[in-house]
Amino acid sequence: MRTEIAQIDLRLRRRSIIWFTVGLAAYAFILVAMYPSVKSDASLGDLTANNPTVAAMLGVNGSLTAPTGWVNGNLYANFLPLMILLLTIGYGASSIAGQSEDGSLGLVATLPISRRRLVREKSFVLALLAVPIAVATMAFILLGRHYQLTLPTGAVIGSTVAILVMGVDFGLIAMIIGVVSGSRGLALGLTSALAAASYLVSSLAPVLSWAHTLRPVSLFYWAVGGDQLTAGPSLTAWAVLVLGGVALHLAAVVLIERLDIR
Amino acid sequence: MPSPVIETHRLTRSFGAHRGIIDVDLQVEPGQIFGFLGPNGAGKSTTIRILMGLYHASSGTAQVLGLDPLRDAVELHRRTGYLPGELALYPRVTGREILDRFGSARGLRDTTYRDELIERFGAEVDRPTQTLSKGNKQKLGIVLAFMHRPELLVLDEATSGLDPLLQQEFITLLRETASDGRTVFLSSHDLDEVQRVVHRLAIIREGRIVVADTVDGLRRHAPRTIELTFDHDVDTTALARLDGVQVAGTDPRHVLLTITGPVAPVLRAIAPLDPIDLLARPADLDELFLDYYRSSDRPEATRAH
Repeated sequence: MRTEIAQIDLRLRRRSIIWFTVGLAAYAFILVAMYPSVKSDASLGDLTANNPTVAAMLGVNGSLTAPTGWVNGNLYANFLPLMILLLTIGYGASSIAGQSEDGSLGLVATLPISRRRLVREKSFVLALLAVPIAVATMAFILLGRHYQLTLPTGAVIGSTVAILVMGVDFGLIAMIIGVVSGSRGLALGLTSALAAASYLVSSLAPVLSWAHTLRPVSLFYWAVGGDQLTAGPSLTAWAVLVLGGVALHLAAVVLIERLDIR
Repeated sequence: MPSPVIETHRLTRSFGAHRGIIDVDLQVEPGQIFGFLGPNGAGKSTTIRILMGLYHASSGTAQVLGLDPLRDAVELHRRTGYLPGELALYPRVTGREILDRFGSARGLRDTTYRDELIERFGAEVDRPTQTLSKGNKQKLGIVLAFMHRPELLVLDEATSGLDPLLQQEFITLLRETASDGRTVFLSSHDLDEVQRVVHRLAIIREGRIVVADTVDGLRRHAPRTIELTFDHDVDTTALARLDGVQVAGTDPRHVLLTITGPVAPVLRAIAPLDPIDLLARPADLDELFLDYYRSSDRPEATRAH
């Protein structure tokens, strides 16, 4: 597969990827290193164990000081997806609509490559963009077993990959909105709003019936809304996240043919 | 007779309330340098983007190198070099990185000609593009458009930001390209550049082609002036009655004629008036261009090829 366009886009984001990775890895390490000193804090554990609303807001099942509660409440249910979404939605919105608005896509689109390949390379970048952050974060969480923070390895890997796939899905939604509207701002704003709504539906589902009804349409629910750090994402979750991504990619491939590129 | 390299028929693109282009007919023959002129917002870049398969036409047809610009975009782009009017290069990467990646995407293995162009235009390739001046970015744009020796070059305001020496070098490059039998479609604001280099040209105004002709053809139709001085008062009625002649000035001893038709009948009409001096000025093409740019009530005309 030829990837010249992907290489340029990755090169342009090299620094932000590195700093995001360093920052999140440091955060994950601090979180892990802190665990032995908070794991016995009963009042902190009771904060979520006895209050389902607070637990729902933090994305925690049970005690905040249990290994799954600590990692979900501080990282996997909120901060890690947020950081990944910052990268993927930002890139999804700028990769086509943003580059068309600033004029740089015009030069690329007049190379002897099809628009289909253009979308394929942009989707490829989207898939790679957040991998270093996710891998570095996951590595520190897995090192937690040396700090009394033991989680099932398979479930941690599965949850991390599910969050990554969810990030790609939202990035593709941003790309599609950009392709249809030609506006980076609209793509960024609308997709961020969708992601926020998806997060709220997933986190409030345990305490609000309307959110519980809506949760099957929330990508957050399928990636982090269940008991993923214990059992790993379900087969249904994988199907929704992966097939959803494939469908979104195909939609982008079809819709870009209609785009006027500056 | 070889097929035209570019052929459009009633090409139209509308942007809602904004005017786009309307019924644009163009024909560019192989080996020609074709000038495409018009004031800002006239529709030059819209036309060019449709020809390059970037924009969709609302109606009408366009064929470039015998290909449909949208359906056959990959093949068209392989055989074409394009320099956009508002050149936007990726920031934070060097010119060399962009040239390498774009060359690789084009399957360009022999970079000898590319490196010649870099040297010839003094293109700055080792600095991040956001630190380059407009002229230095434009040099990179020229290298990107020409480096693979395409059959057709579509250049939108190509000399924008170049100093006069490099503009001259660019004109030399255009002439070399045409002498290779390759074709150039050149949009420009620089009337002097167009007069010096193009074989044919079209002027677009308010989205419509108002004239398409050779430079010589336009020159033949451009107004010439004859200034006459007399040592006695003259009656210019006979001159004013001639086709294509306008008499300016109210001084009966100093008459200015603007001539757009044949000159012989004018000379015959002047002789009996016995002028003491005659000053003829050559066709003023700049004035003709500007007249086409300015006047919205001028009858539209598409002259013979």
